[in-house]
Parts: sequence; structure tokens; C-alpha cells
Amino acid sequence: MNTASNRLSRVIQNGLLAIYAIFALFPLIWMIILSFKSDAQMYNTTFIFTPTLANYKAVLFESDYLTYMLDSLIVSGGAVVVSVVAGVPAAYALARYNFKKKEDIAFQILSFKFAPEILVVLPLFMIYQKLHIYDTYFGLIWVYQLISMPLLIWVVRGYFEDISVEIEYAAQVDGYNWYQIFFKNLIPLIKPGLVSAALLAFIFAWNSFTFPLMLGGTNIQPITVAITKFLGTDSAHYGQLAVASAISALPAIIFALCIQKHLVRGLSFGAVKG
Amino acid sequence: MKEQNVNSTATSELNVVPFKTRVLPYLIVAPALIITIGIMIPFIMAIYFSLTNYSFRMPKYNFIGLQNWINILTSSVFWKAVWVTLRYAFFSTVIEMGLGMGIAILLNNLNNKFSKIMRVALIFPLMVAPITATTVWQLMLNNSVGILEKFLNIFGIYNFPWAASPSTAMMTVVMIDVWINTSFCMLLVLAGLQSLPKSPFESAKIDGGSTMFNFRNLTLPMLKPSLYIALLFRLMAALQEYAIIFALTQGGPGDTLMNLSLTAYQNGFQFQKFGFALPYILVLWLFINIVAKQIVKRQRAAQKQAAGLEE
Amino acid sequence: MKKRVLSVLLSATMVAGMLAGCGGGGDSAATSGSAGSDSNATEETGGSTDAAEGESTDAADATGDAAASGEFDWKKYDGTTINVMFNEHNYSKAVISKLEEFEALTGITVEYSSTPESNYFDKLNISLSSRSGTPDVYMTGAYQVWEYAPADYMEPLDDYINNPALTASDYNYDDFIPGVVGALKWDLVPGHKVGEGSQWALPMGWELNNLSYNKNVLADKGLEVPKTTAELLDTAKALNEFAGSGSYGIAVRGTREWATIHPGYMSLFSTWGAQDFAIEDGKLVCKLDSPEAIAMTDYWVNLIKTAGPPQWTNYTWYEASSDLGAGKAAMMFDATSAAYFQNFAGASQESGNISWSTIPLPEGKTEADMKANIWIWALAMNKDSKNKEAAWYFLQYFTSPEYMQYAGTDGASPDTPRQSVMDSDGYKEIVGSAENYLESISALTENASIQFTPQPYFFECTTKWAETLQDLVTSNKYSSTEEAMQQLKKDLDVVVSDLVISE
Repeated sequence: MNTASNRLSRVIQNGLLAIYAIFALFPLIWMIILSFKSDAQMYNTTFIFTPTLANYKAVLFESDYLTYMLDSLIVSGGAVVVSVVAGVPAAYALARYNFKKKEDIAFQILSFKFAPEILVVLPLFMIYQKLHIYDTYFGLIWVYQLISMPLLIWVVRGYFEDISVEIEYAAQVDGYNWYQIFFKNLIPLIKPGLVSAALLAFIFAWNSFTFPLMLGGTNIQPITVAITKFLGTDSAHYGQLAVASAISALPAIIFALCIQKHLVRGLSFGAVKG
Repeated sequence: MKEQNVNSTATSELNVVPFKTRVLPYLIVAPALIITIGIMIPFIMAIYFSLTNYSFRMPKYNFIGLQNWINILTSSVFWKAVWVTLRYAFFSTVIEMGLGMGIAILLNNLNNKFSKIMRVALIFPLMVAPITATTVWQLMLNNSVGILEKFLNIFGIYNFPWAASPSTAMMTVVMIDVWINTSFCMLLVLAGLQSLPKSPFESAKIDGGSTMFNFRNLTLPMLKPSLYIALLFRLMAALQEYAIIFALTQGGPGDTLMNLSLTAYQNGFQFQKFGFALPYILVLWLFINIVAKQIVKRQRAAQKQAAGLEE
Repeated sequence: MKKRVLSVLLSATMVAGMLAGCGGGGDSAATSGSAGSDSNATEETGGSTDAAEGESTDAADATGDAAASGEFDWKKYDGTTINVMFNEHNYSKAVISKLEEFEALTGITVEYSSTPESNYFDKLNISLSSRSGTPDVYMTGAYQVWEYAPADYMEPLDDYINNPALTASDYNYDDFIPGVVGALKWDLVPGHKVGEGSQWALPMGWELNNLSYNKNVLADKGLEVPKTTAELLDTAKALNEFAGSGSYGIAVRGTREWATIHPGYMSLFSTWGAQDFAIEDGKLVCKLDSPEAIAMTDYWVNLIKTAGPPQWTNYTWYEASSDLGAGKAAMMFDATSAAYFQNFAGASQESGNISWSTIPLPEGKTEADMKANIWIWALAMNKDSKNKEAAWYFLQYFTSPEYMQYAGTDGASPDTPRQSVMDSDGYKEIVGSAENYLESISALTENASIQFTPQPYFFECTTKWAETLQDLVTSNKYSSTEEAMQQLKKDLDVVVSDLVISE
């Protein structure tokens, strides 16, 4: 066909993508550059400077950074696991069965994702103190369900709706019971959606700020709450802040790379899957 | 595949087999519901507190009826906050949706190595906590020491005010929101594009439909469910954004960026007038719920329609 | 029908919440080996802490009476656990580094959290409002006293300071700089100045707000250090673009919050002879429409417009001081220590080049009129604390002369509130190496105090005040400074209208 215009359009498309990529990635690259700059060279140099590992040393070895990271991992990871365990069956029921108020319940679950955090946080604080779950992993994992569960249920529900019910009949005829069918036949089919939704839920939980600030703090301090500590109090240490934020993005990035294969298709709604 | 009928067949058929009790679906949903609905109690408490003069500053509080509501709904501060909220949500959502869709289409068309790397790399901005992302942007935007100033100087632009002037502050916070969240829209749209069925497009090709025609009549309807979900999540978050604005300008200059969330946060936590702050946020919550319900309804309908198109 | 569903759901929630919750907790523990064990460990320690707290409360009650008459003994509250909330700061870092020594001396266990300043007070407000007794001790600013003391969040400390059974004989309260420790006293009457009434908190460190400058830049341009406000404006103007685009005359803060009002602006505002509030006919009345207040604000807005930071409305402590350190701002009107932290070796490009001056004088004013506004970081005790004596031990230890000597020298807290530390050789050697630093402080100390009128709506008023300044600098919302200040006065009168002045 008309290859010339085709090639031109390819060049333009690559160009547009490159422009966006610069916008999206430059601040991150800049952050990495800052992480190697000393305070004295922070402002008077751009790309050419004497790189130093002092910021890394200060953050990783001279602070409680790793404890904050571990807290974040436990709380966000725990939140995602609870969401999967309770959410996948719920998504199944919401997809497969017709029952009264089904759509209302589905919407109700979703609407929690949109609950203004500022509204719930003070009453929650009072309840948490009464129940003695203030400043515990359990309390934070519970409240993080507001962030992680709704998205997960909605993505996975879409997957269940698209799986033909005949697959289940066929397996029943073969003598498998419901649990075997669920784990052997259905779970593999929803896997792309499940892992992608879990990634997004993890990212949202990881970045959550208001809940851990108000409902944690002494025993448990996730990285989002602690991170501005690295900016310092006497003067602004952007280098340390850059190290702290770059490393704090690593778990999600590793997670994303691991599920890369599913990531691209996993979050589709309503089209054919599998 | 007759997707529309799956639900009804499923019900009737599954009702015959082993677990044929009407309670079962509720039981399965229950854990998820309980975990989330436990959180419902704070809402009820919040409504109650909004009818009191509850303040951290006073040892006791009294029931004062609708006084807070009347004071707020008749004040110009409230309506200004509504206007800021709507403008912020509109601009950031429209740009993120448009840009996200554009980038997703590019990534989908260009099946080369560059686009494959970008599929993963472009979601990195989502992974930086918004608070630090804003701090890094703030440093880049600084007129005295920022990297963007040096870049703009090449084009002869000096001291562009960014978040410091009422005329450019909204644009600047929206830009940072776009930087963080476009990848979310992009991810959902790309997933939708990747799972489009081949057959309708092949038959359309035989019929000689133009690219534009295909896009409007096939791609778009089948993408709609994904688009609605992206819209839902982004719009609802943008309506209550406060982290980026607070970190960048604290709502200034003047009251340029004081949206409902920020006004409530400031009155409730910084000025300690908790009861007085609640109506702002309850109005926002109500509005969010109404809009979300409409979007979800459309999303469900679009999902059914898209399933129909696949045949 | 709907109602029934709702009530069923709600009661089901109550009952099943626990069950589901337990399930949830178990699951999370199963996420990964280390994570699971860690979470269990914390729960266990949490439990044992509770138990310890219970016991210690009893212990404290039992010894409470004895304490009033017995001998002073650091070990008296051995076994107690107290909870402390810190704002992330050099002052709190110094305290944290000495916690082990405190625990070894007293046998008191200290649990603490340290929260970055941008969110510290939000978190503290919520914790105090629960009135659960946690934290026992917290870090606070001086202006917060006016909010927390009337709300019953602060325990008056006088009875502890004056009780020889509870306070070591070498504590030496009189050694605190009078203006600093007095600024933490207040009689709870809105409109009454600080300095009278109960001692609500004890200082960890303080800062006063004055002019600092880059001496090399001024020397290069052949400019003198400005002594009057007119000279300040001219000098700042002449220094614009001294190092090319982006560099400017004078750095000051400008964000939409109280922190914009209290540094340079408030020092000059008071020196100009203006005041914020006054009691008239038994009511608190805003005085921001006075001729002095209008003239001073007009001057300030003009200063920012002609020679201030281009992005002034985004400028906090960090930006203002960084610009001075990066050689982008030639002068700064802010906290003494903001410039100090840019000046020590390796801190910034301009370290070693910074010097300090006092407050430029408006027309017709003399050095005797100079009034520097101060900010104090302090430690206070929660009135609901269940371990008050142990909490007092903590407060006492970390404001003692011995600890203050450490904090002022090795602890990197340059603004000590104790005269004995200020006079010590060790302190002079470290802090005194900054040119004119100690000199400018001692020149201003006599009249340095909190220049605001104490009242519990301080934060709401100063935020509106800052908003008006921003409007004046960035917009044409008001036709004149006078109009803006009159509007501000009206707004603030409404804010404080429900305060009762009990003379």
C-alpha cells in the first residue's frame, strides 16, 4: 500500500510518544540525578557535578528508612492479600448470581473508594482507640480495604462475567466439586485481571497518606508518612528526599515488572479476555 | 457467545445444583461487605457531628441543629470552593482521559521495542507518592534554582510564575495531577484496546469502512466500559484532591485553589472547628455519590452493549 | 423493608466485624514469613505495653502523695512508660539521641513518634482531642499554647517546677532567658499579653526574626548593610539580578499560612508600632486597620513586589533560606537560625559568607523601638496524662542545664533558651564562629518576645492575614492596602467575636 505516508505516520507517532515520555520520565530522571548531588552542589549545577553517595548513606544506613519500608510492605501487602481473599469470592457472587439489591451492593462497595478520607478519619480515630486497634498493623490493613478492595472487586467481577458458565458445567459433569472448579478452572482464567488489579491496589495502598498519618505513627510509620522527614528541618535536603522517594517506588516497580505479561491486558473491561 | 444472557442462565441453572440456597450469594459477598461497611459507621458519626459545634478547642460540644449547614451554604467561601472543585476536576479529568487515550492508542499501534518499553516505563509516575512528586515538581518549577526555569530561559522566557500567580496556579496543579495520573487512564484504555476482538474489524475491512468509521462505530463502543471506569476513578479522585494542592500552594495565592476538600481540611484540622468543617465534605460526598452512580449505570450498559458487538 | 435491611446489615457488621477482622489479620500475617512474625511481635509488645501502663498508673497514684513531700529521686517512677510526640526537628533529634541515658537514669520507658512538621499539628490535634492521655508529653510551639491551654490539653507546670520533691535542686529555672520562658506563660484571658499566669510549657529552643545577608554580595556591589526601612528597600532593589536572572534582593516567606506572618513581617510590624488586637470595651478588637499597620503592610507589599522572590506566594522557610544559601537571594528577613543552617561548612554554596544584622528602622524610630518577634519550640504535658510525674521527669531532664549544654553544642540546636549555655565557652566556640550571629541576638534579646496578642483563633486569623497579603501582592482585588486591611479587620472581628474576656 502507500508505504511513504505509512512510514511518515509511524515517525510522527514515535515522535509524539517520545515527547510524552520525556514529560512523564524527566522528573523521575531528575530525581535520580538529585539523589547523587551534595547539598552544596544542589542548586549551582545541572547535569555536571561531582556525584556523591552521601545521600544514600544517610538515608539507608543512618536513619530508620528500612523500618518505614517494612511497615509499608506489611500494611500494603497485607491489605492486598485481604482484598484478594475476601474480594474474589465477592466478585464471583456479584457476577454469577442474580440476587436482590445486587447492583446496589456492588455500587456500595465501589463507593467506598470515593469516601473522602478527611471525612472518615476523625470518627475512625475515635473508634480505633476504643477497639484498641489504633497504631496496629491490623487496624491499618483494615482501613486500607477502602482503597484496595473496590478496584479489585470491580476488575475481577468483569472477568467472571465474561467467563462462559459452560466451563463450570463441563467440569461438574466431569465430577469436580465447586471448590476444585473455582481454583483449577476459574482462577487461571481471571489471573491477568487479578494480578493487574492487585498491582494497582498495591500502588494506591502504598501511596496512601492520610490514613497512616492519623491512624498510625508510633509503632507503625509507613514510608509516605515518614518521607518528608528526609527533606530535613534545618535546611532542605532535596538529595536525601530524592533517595527516599526513588527507593520507595522500587517495590511497585518490581511488582509491575514481574506481572508485565498480564499488565497490558489485565485491566480490560467488557471485551473478550483469556 | 451471548454475554447478556449469561447472568440469567447462570442463576437459573446454578440454582438447581448443590448450593441452591438463596442466601448463598449474600454469604459470599458478606466478608467483603463487612470489611468495608464497618467503615460506614464513621459516616453516620460525621453526619451527627455536622449538627454540633464540635471543636478540638472546647472540652464540650452542643447540638446546634442546622446552624453549620446554614452558615456554610449561605457563605461565598462555600460557593467559591464549589467552583474551584469543579474546575479542577474538569480540567484534570478531561486532560488525563484525552492524553491517556491518545498515548494508549500510540502504544497499541506502534508495536515496536520502544513502545513495549514505554508500556511499563510510563506507569512509573503512578508509583511515586503524590506528596514527594509534588515536592520534586516544586523544586523543578522554582524561578531561582529550578531546572525548568533554565530550560525556559533558552526560549527567552524568564520568571514564569507557575504556582505563585493566581492566573497560572490552577494550570500548574493540574499539570502535576496530569503527570501523576495520566498513566492510570492510559493503562485502562490500553488494556481495553489489547483485548479488542479481531473479527468485527476484519469484517469491517471487507465492508471497506474508513479508519475513522471503524474507530467511531467499533473501537469506541467496545472501549467504552474501560473509558467509563477510568473516568469514574479519575473524576472521583479529582473532585476531592487535596494532597497536591496543599503541598504546592496550601490553597493560595489568595483563595485561588481553595476547593471543598482543602476548605474542610483547613477548618477542621488547622482551625479546629470540626463540626463546622463537615458540611463542606458531606456536600462533596453526596455529589460524588450521585455522579458515581450515573457513571456506573452507564458503564454497566456499555459493557452489555460491547459484549453484543463482539458477535 | 429498606430499614430492616439496614439494621440487619449494621448489627451483622458489629458482630461479624470482629470475626472477619480476625480472619483478615491472620491472612495478612501469612503474607510472608518475616512480615507475619513481625506483626505478631508488635501486637505482643503492644499488649505488654498496655499492661505496663496499667501497672505504672497504679504505681504513680500510690506514690503521688509521697512525691509531694519525699526526697527528690530520679528513680522514683521506675517502670513507668510514657508516650511522647515530637515534631521532626533538630531539637527533637537531640532529645531522641539522649533517650537511652534518660531511661537508664530514671527507669522510665519512653515510646515516641516523630512526625514531619507539615502534618505534625494535625496529628497532635487529633490525638489530644481523644483525651485518652496519650501522648503524655508533646512538642509544641508557643502560639499553640493559646489554643491548647484553654482547651484543657495542657497541664500547668508551676507546681512541678516549685516542688523540691519533684524537681532536682540543680534545675535552675531562673537560668532560662526571661523573655523566652515568659513567652510560655499566659493567664488564659484572650487579649492579655504573654508573661503572666501559669507556665504552660518549657522551651527547647527559640528563634528571633531579623535581617541576614550575604556579605560578599553586598561588598561586591559596594552596598552598606541597610539600617532603615528606606535603605532596605533601596538596597534590595539595587541587588535585584545581582547574579543574573532568578537572583533578587531579599528573601521572605509568603505561603498562605501563619508562618508567613510571624517571621520578618511581624518583627517589622511591631517595630513600626502596630499591633494586631486590643481589648476595647471588654471585647477583643482587631487593629489591623490602624495607620501604622496599613503603612507597614504597604511597605512590605512594595518590598516584595520590587525585590522579593519571584514566586513569593510559594516561599516557606526552605525556599527562602535555600535561596540565600544558593547565592540567589542577597538578604533574608527571617529566623536567625534559618540563615545559620545555610552558613556552616558544607551546608550550601554560600556557607561562611552570611552575616546577621538587626531590624531596619522605620522613619522616626530608634534602636530602643526594635521589637523582634520570636518563635519557641517547647515541651508540654498533656492534662489528661495518666503518668504526670514521670512525664514531668522527662520534661525536666530535657530542659535541664546539663542537657541544654549538650543540645546547644553537640546537639546542633543553635538557639539555646538558657543563659548559662549561651555564656559557656563551648557554645560560643561553635555558634559564635558565625559572624555577628550572637551579637545580633544579644542586641535584640531585651525586646524580643511574642509580639502577637494571645487568643485561641491565632491560626485562623494569621491564615486570613496571609491570604490578604497574597492578594495584595498578586492581584488587583483591592484598590489599596487601606481597603484590604479594613476588610481584613472586619473579617477578623467576626472570627474572634465569640471570645469572652473575663477581666
